[in-house]
Amino acid sequence: MAEEQYPEKWGMVIDQDICTGCQACVTACSMENNIPFTGEEEVAYGRGMHWLRIQRYWEGEYPEVSPTHTPMMCQQCGHAPCEPVCPVFATVHSESESINLQVYNRCIGTRYCANNCPYIARSFNWFDYEVPAPMNYYLNPSVTVRRRGVMEKCTFCVQRIYAGQETAKKEGRALRDGDVVPACAQACPVDAIIFGDLTDPNSRVSQAARSERGYTQLEELGTAPRVTYLKGGGTYGG
Amino acid sequence: MARPIVHLALFKEDQLEQATEAIHALRHLGVSDKDMSVISGVPYSEKILGRPMSWTRIPLIGGLGALAGFLVATFLNFGTPLLYPIRVGGMAYQTIPTAIVVTFELTMLGLLISTFIGVFVETISPSFGPQGYDPRVTDGHIGVLFSSQPELDPSLHETLEKLGAEIVHGAEAKKLWLF
Amino acid sequence: MAAETQSIPTVHPAAHDEEEDHRDQLMFDPRPREEMNHMVMDAMTHTTPRYWLAVGILGAIVAVCLFGMWGYMIATGMGLAGIRKPVYWGVFIVLLVFWIGISHAGTFVSAILRVFKAEFRRPFTRAAELMTTFGLAAGALYPLVHLGRVWVFYWMIPYPNARWLWPNFRSPLVWDFLAITTYLLSSTIYLFLPLIPDLAMARDRTTGWRHFIYKTLSLGWRGTEAEWFRLRKAISIFAVAIIPVMFSVHTIVSWDFAVAQTAAWNSTIFGPYFIIGAILSGVSAVVTILIILRSTMKHMDYFIRPEHIDALGKLLLVFSMAWGYFFFNDYMVSWYGGYEAVRQILTLHASGPSAWIWYCMLIFNIGIPWLTLWNKKIRRTPWAMFIITLLINVGMFFERYTIIPMTLGHQRMPFDWGEYSPRLPEISIGIGSLALFMLLYLLASRVIPLVPVWEVQEGQEAHSLRKVGKTTVPSVAELE
Repeated sequence: MAEEQYPEKWGMVIDQDICTGCQACVTACSMENNIPFTGEEEVAYGRGMHWLRIQRYWEGEYPEVSPTHTPMMCQQCGHAPCEPVCPVFATVHSESESINLQVYNRCIGTRYCANNCPYIARSFNWFDYEVPAPMNYYLNPSVTVRRRGVMEKCTFCVQRIYAGQETAKKEGRALRDGDVVPACAQACPVDAIIFGDLTDPNSRVSQAARSERGYTQLEELGTAPRVTYLKGGGTYGG
Repeated sequence: MARPIVHLALFKEDQLEQATEAIHALRHLGVSDKDMSVISGVPYSEKILGRPMSWTRIPLIGGLGALAGFLVATFLNFGTPLLYPIRVGGMAYQTIPTAIVVTFELTMLGLLISTFIGVFVETISPSFGPQGYDPRVTDGHIGVLFSSQPELDPSLHETLEKLGAEIVHGAEAKKLWLF
Repeated sequence: MAAETQSIPTVHPAAHDEEEDHRDQLMFDPRPREEMNHMVMDAMTHTTPRYWLAVGILGAIVAVCLFGMWGYMIATGMGLAGIRKPVYWGVFIVLLVFWIGISHAGTFVSAILRVFKAEFRRPFTRAAELMTTFGLAAGALYPLVHLGRVWVFYWMIPYPNARWLWPNFRSPLVWDFLAITTYLLSSTIYLFLPLIPDLAMARDRTTGWRHFIYKTLSLGWRGTEAEWFRLRKAISIFAVAIIPVMFSVHTIVSWDFAVAQTAAWNSTIFGPYFIIGAILSGVSAVVTILIILRSTMKHMDYFIRPEHIDALGKLLLVFSMAWGYFFFNDYMVSWYGGYEAVRQILTLHASGPSAWIWYCMLIFNIGIPWLTLWNKKIRRTPWAMFIITLLINVGMFFERYTIIPMTLGHQRMPFDWGEYSPRLPEISIGIGSLALFMLLYLLASRVIPLVPVWEVQEGQEAHSLRKVGKTTVPSVAELE
């Protein structure tokens, strides 16, 4: 029900071959999106509120081991399994941005979407998490803070998408590649995360997505993810 | 013509034969079937009692309720997505397989609730025929309830007593429900 | 032709006490209606100090463990419970499925057995229907308990709001809501309809507040032909219509899992598998309750006899076998499919840290029933049946536990695997809902006639012993 239609279809490419697993994106994501810190004990119990996390798998037999890093977040599926199961339309498909939205103040907390997400990309607000005194000045005014009992997840920094669109409109020009950069891509020191418009065949993200190293996570489920991963298995070909 | 008097002929629970005989005898004495009613603590079918069939609108009311449920379900399935279209999971706005589930549940809900409403309304609405009651009925006694002209009294009493009935003379209706 | 003569078996003289044997059965041991009424009324109005002590303790448990704990959890957050990423559904949903399963008993016993005219159902249809209603009452709490923001639960109800935004009728949770509502309402009505004549019976035998309640509820019942005709018509509509509703309820509960992408949930056999499991646990619970009623309430040993426990025990054996069949069917096909995520889950069920739950499930649901229930002597021993049926319900709880948290914890991304164990709120609310069920049942047992007297009398009138040749045989007349 958006008033204005934009032609862009946003997408992301993550190059696992150059990702170092430094967690800068995780930090940037938390700061950008007002993600609360739940504390050591809660994180250890599996309640860290990460919209983006780095999955680290070891390859090879000890001592010949090497880690691979998979930054994992909401894949903004075209056929998202989380969406139809919500009884109150709290997670819906945005037809203007072609991403998967979470409507915090509609959510009643059934957590069905999280069970049905094969990427385990969603985080639940188990409690009201307080942001201690000086830290609350860091809160991003463009992003809602969430209360206890609601689900949340990566939004592709939808506030930055809007900001980019509005700046372009103000300057009376079309959106250019690189106008919209989500926090994770901005923070990545090796530029392993590329974000942009997939409808433009010349954008960096479209070119990278066409790479022969490209694959999508859990392709066999038919969820049509909007995030492409690049992994060459040491050959770096293509 | 004098006011008819309501009688209740009570038979013990093992006197079903006699009760049906009594109904037959009453008919001979000129009490019509609509002035008669049988009250019992267990259901006896009309065939056993040799009485005309009862009728009820409950299946009709139930059917109408089912229809109402079906219509509501159709609106919820196919109407509400148009009021506020939201795309989820790449599905169409109106999906038939999921609609079947909702339609089934609401149709059944309509059927069952209106069946109950049918019972409720028919039970509390005033009934024709003789009104009368005796608490011994719920102890298993079979009561033949009838209204007749006072001048028939002596012959009636004689006939029924011969069949082993205990006669309650003037078993007028008591207030059994709230109003 | 010598061989033929030899093969004729020796004829034993017929036992003289054959007629006495048949009097073991309620239907061949009739008593006058007045006496049965008196027994039922006596059982209903008789309370001992022990009864009030139980009511008091259960009431306190409900207040503290259920509502107290739930209130505290609402005020603090779902995080008090043990659920965590990726096990977003834990014991609350296990208990939802468990209680909805229990609630299948009433409908099974009183609708299916009524439609097929199984005569042994007569004395305990009401006891089973009460279980349905109260099981649903306990179960219907859990969709609320597990909500993150229960104070806006009504957003699931279809009603026109200011934005014309309706619930999502493609969500299994909305189907759940509709199905549970339908089942709760219709099973309550189905409990009430055959109760009307018994309420009238109680109305004629009470004074004071009880009289007022029964008078109100019995709707001025006199027992005329028209009233009986209407009642039977309505009951037969209900008996036929409530069976598919019952099947749909647990199918829809199973679809909460089966329509999901989650590995080892996405199984087409979940519907019937859940239904059989529900009936197994429901009928077990009926047996458990009947044994308790028989030993604690006055005169109940007349109405509820070893023959009933025996008949239900046979049914249980059949359902236990059917459950085993469906379990194996689900397991076999999932295992053979060779999908790595599913294979991993199945392996972890049997060898993971919670594997003891999986083994207990198999022992309680298959091992013990198959080893014991074929034996008539065991089936007729109340205390043995009490233990067996209680264990079946524990086994069925473990089955749901295996399906829900033990499966959710090990999905396709091994980096995010996690073990779940319930914490205090889950345990406390679980105990609280059990206490709520018991409390409601205990209170109801003293307020409504627990035996459908008119149905028992109807049955006794239809049954007789007929002499055929040199023996008497039980025979049933078709009075309807």
